[in-house]
Amino acid sequence: MLKPISSTDWDYAKAAHLLNRAGFGGPPAEIQALADLGLDGAVARLVDYEKIPDPTLNPDWAKPNGEEMRQFREAVKTATPEEKKKLQREEQQVFQRRMLELRGWWLQRMARGPRPLQEKLVLFWHGHFATSVEKVRNPYFMWRQNELFRRLATGAWPQLLLEAGKDPAMLIWLDQGQSKKDHPNENFAREVMELFALGEGHYTEKDITEAARALTGWSLEPLEQKFIFRPRLHDDGNKTCLGRTGNFNGDDVIQIIVGQPQAARFITAKLWNYFAGQVPSEAWNETLAASLRAHGNQFKPFLHELFRSEEFYAPAVRRNQVKSPVQWLVGSVRMLENELPPTLASWGMLRQLGQDLFAPPNVKGWDGGITWITTNTLLTRYNDAQSLVEGTLPPLSANDFAKKPGGPGGEKAMKAMQRVRLGKVNVEKILTPDQREDKGLLIPALEQRLFQTSLTSGQEQTLREFLNPKTKLSEADIQTAIRLMMSTPDYQVA
Amino acid sequence: MKNEITLQTRREFLRRTVLGSALSWTVPAFLADTFSALQAQAADSSTQVDTGKDGTILVVLQMAGGNDGINTVVPFANDHYHRARPTLGLTADKVLHLNGEVGLHGAMKGFKELYDAGQLSVIQGVGYPNPNRSHFRSTEIWQTASDTDRVEKYGWLGRYFDNACAGADPTVGVTIGSQLPQAFFAAKPKGIVFNNPQNYRFVANGSATEESYKKLNELEMSEPQPDENSGGSIAMLPAGMPMTGGRAVDFITRTALDAQHSSDEVRSIAARVKNQAVYPGSQLGNALKLVAQLIGGGLPTRIYYVSQGGYDTHTNQLGSQQRLLGDLAESVKSFTDDLKAQGNMSRVLVMTFSEFGRRVAENANGGTDHGAAAPMFIIGNQVKAGLLGQYPSLAPADLFQGDVKYNVDFRNVYAGVLEHWLKTKSAPVLGRAFTPLPVV
Repeated sequence: MLKPISSTDWDYAKAAHLLNRAGFGGPPAEIQALADLGLDGAVARLVDYEKIPDPTLNPDWAKPNGEEMRQFREAVKTATPEEKKKLQREEQQVFQRRMLELRGWWLQRMARGPRPLQEKLVLFWHGHFATSVEKVRNPYFMWRQNELFRRLATGAWPQLLLEAGKDPAMLIWLDQGQSKKDHPNENFAREVMELFALGEGHYTEKDITEAARALTGWSLEPLEQKFIFRPRLHDDGNKTCLGRTGNFNGDDVIQIIVGQPQAARFITAKLWNYFAGQVPSEAWNETLAASLRAHGNQFKPFLHELFRSEEFYAPAVRRNQVKSPVQWLVGSVRMLENELPPTLASWGMLRQLGQDLFAPPNVKGWDGGITWITTNTLLTRYNDAQSLVEGTLPPLSANDFAKKPGGPGGEKAMKAMQRVRLGKVNVEKILTPDQREDKGLLIPALEQRLFQTSLTSGQEQTLREFLNPKTKLSEADIQTAIRLMMSTPDYQVA
Repeated sequence: MKNEITLQTRREFLRRTVLGSALSWTVPAFLADTFSALQAQAADSSTQVDTGKDGTILVVLQMAGGNDGINTVVPFANDHYHRARPTLGLTADKVLHLNGEVGLHGAMKGFKELYDAGQLSVIQGVGYPNPNRSHFRSTEIWQTASDTDRVEKYGWLGRYFDNACAGADPTVGVTIGSQLPQAFFAAKPKGIVFNNPQNYRFVANGSATEESYKKLNELEMSEPQPDENSGGSIAMLPAGMPMTGGRAVDFITRTALDAQHSSDEVRSIAARVKNQAVYPGSQLGNALKLVAQLIGGGLPTRIYYVSQGGYDTHTNQLGSQQRLLGDLAESVKSFTDDLKAQGNMSRVLVMTFSEFGRRVAENANGGTDHGAAAPMFIIGNQVKAGLLGQYPSLAPADLFQGDVKYNVDFRNVYAGVLEHWLKTKSAPVLGRAFTPLPVV
């Protein structure tokens, strides 16, 4: 049991911290609403999200398309070279369009959906089971995996690990669907231990080759596009994995892996890092793991405890996490109460900032933390802030439109991007007439909205000096002041 | 501040003004360190380190994913090779012969030309004891030059900066890409990262905005907070990147400072210096094209870092490796042509590495699984050209868990590059003494 903070210590600043970490932040009214619920009520509001209806509709193509793909392959087979080219180009366009729609669909759920923690966890699991469309090449599979994470976001660890392993996108991503008993492919067997459940140093090379044998037979049924066990490909002999011997199959080894005490330590350390922004000490990790085990490896009661714990509200934890690009973008539009930019622009920003959804850099996912910040990504954040607030197009370059699978495509995509129109922040919506007129009220109001705390006196002085020469503040002046406040190191943390 | 300090650059001037009149306790360690180094440097100008303006330059090229070294430097005459690789094995007519036994992959024509010109060194069988087959751990071992059983948080290039480049301009290390490689992690982090020089700037709607941005990003440092009730947390990040100032915002502030003061210079060079060779349109080609511009423009960089991904060829390796190695050889050849035209070829060394080679036996999917030792390439007109070291034995009895054994520890190569090319003592950088391999 993690020690909770005293409910009398609950206040607006802690509610803001909770909303930033268990969600994507929000405007003052939303923070106030959480503060009014009290600690238990606020945590329950975020964690027990099943009670809140989510009316989001699925993309209309989000269903198995095995038959469509079969027909495409048939058509390509008999086509003339010219027709073939045309068919492939069309297929490519459908693929690009669907992936763009999928990215927009998910970002919209994060920015405007009624269940912020659920989406925050989907993002966690996406980064954890980091699967890329660049290899999977199928928007339906990517959507389906995303939905799997959504369905099991606060579920049981063993079930999630097993289902994620059998998920079609994963079967393709780590080659498990192609593994055969004469030469087992070790890719998934290795990563399930190293990156998904145990961590380096908690298994041997022999455990990997043995698990790979047990996992043979896990495959993908191409027409119905779902998991299938193929006994023909399965190695039926005895295997010894993590100290146990038997004629194991894939389900068995996943249960053996997730049954290791290390499996609870590993995933709780990663969750703590995601929500608290820090690596837990060994002792604290042990406490976290014990909590998860005590709750039968169920994430929901564990998260209830985590979000009420003293450690989660410690000064060293608060306002000390670098915002991920997604947090930065989604959090900004939530705080500024404006719309997400058109998906082409949102996606472009996230790609430049280093977090291309559905295309993590590798199976380890995003390193996160201060690795989000380089000289390059920092300047890009500052310029993207201008786009969000003043509606200008961010600087584009052909480099960002280099052709690669799952990427935006070449020159044509760049031209499309140049036609995108972005909205501006509505200052009348987020500021009272007094705040818009009185510089002495304006700066604190914006500080509360953007930082939920004050900047240093030197920074406030700089902002006053910027505004002072202007006798009457225009909408554009206020927008530039907001952009400047977002162009600070302080805005990059929450 | 008793010493008379001559500050050479705008940046040094800035750092001095940032510090103001006193080194108060609220100044983060990294700034204070830089300042002390500047003082020492100014006091004794003979300690001034070489910069990339006139000194030697190292370009590190990462082949990410684990390149199959056996199909890169191909032992085409070896029966064990063809037995282990019935479908992937390359026959004598498919490779560019270096001698009667081995040759380069047929796609690497550019490398063969460099080899014939005495500008390519092929170090065979490079690895380390107790090889690790995880991409991430093995990459970390190469990036930090650590032993397999030791986790180091700083990178070998970061330790080079710490040991040999105190007080240097932040552009002493340049990564073309979006992420800082772990090799750059350091006690006093240095180096800038960018992808695209045109976007490497703060876009302002007026000079007042720009002035305010500069002030907001230069002068403010968070005040150190007492570390009470830290929640039992010990570090910022699993990747092990160290925190210098304690709070994330201090790290970002330092990065903001580096960004502000390198962006003008980088953009001006990229706009001014023209490439004198035609590069492939690939990501690697574009990166090396940019590096050539920056070298030609005299950026004081000593280490450039570029990477090429996609070498994790578990399935259908033939086509993908062909494409990757072709891109590699062509991009590097264009780069050397460009440097020759500039007259800078003798100052630049390119070193490639990959986190591991691949299993000797192919798998059932027309690919190969993670392995161990593999060749490294060193390119430059002062290299010890030719084949260095021994090709590892492919005889089944000589393999360890199906992998070739290494003959050269990569840290001997690093030591050679540090001692003979960057002219610095390698032991402090690598943690202990490794015999420098004479690479130049």
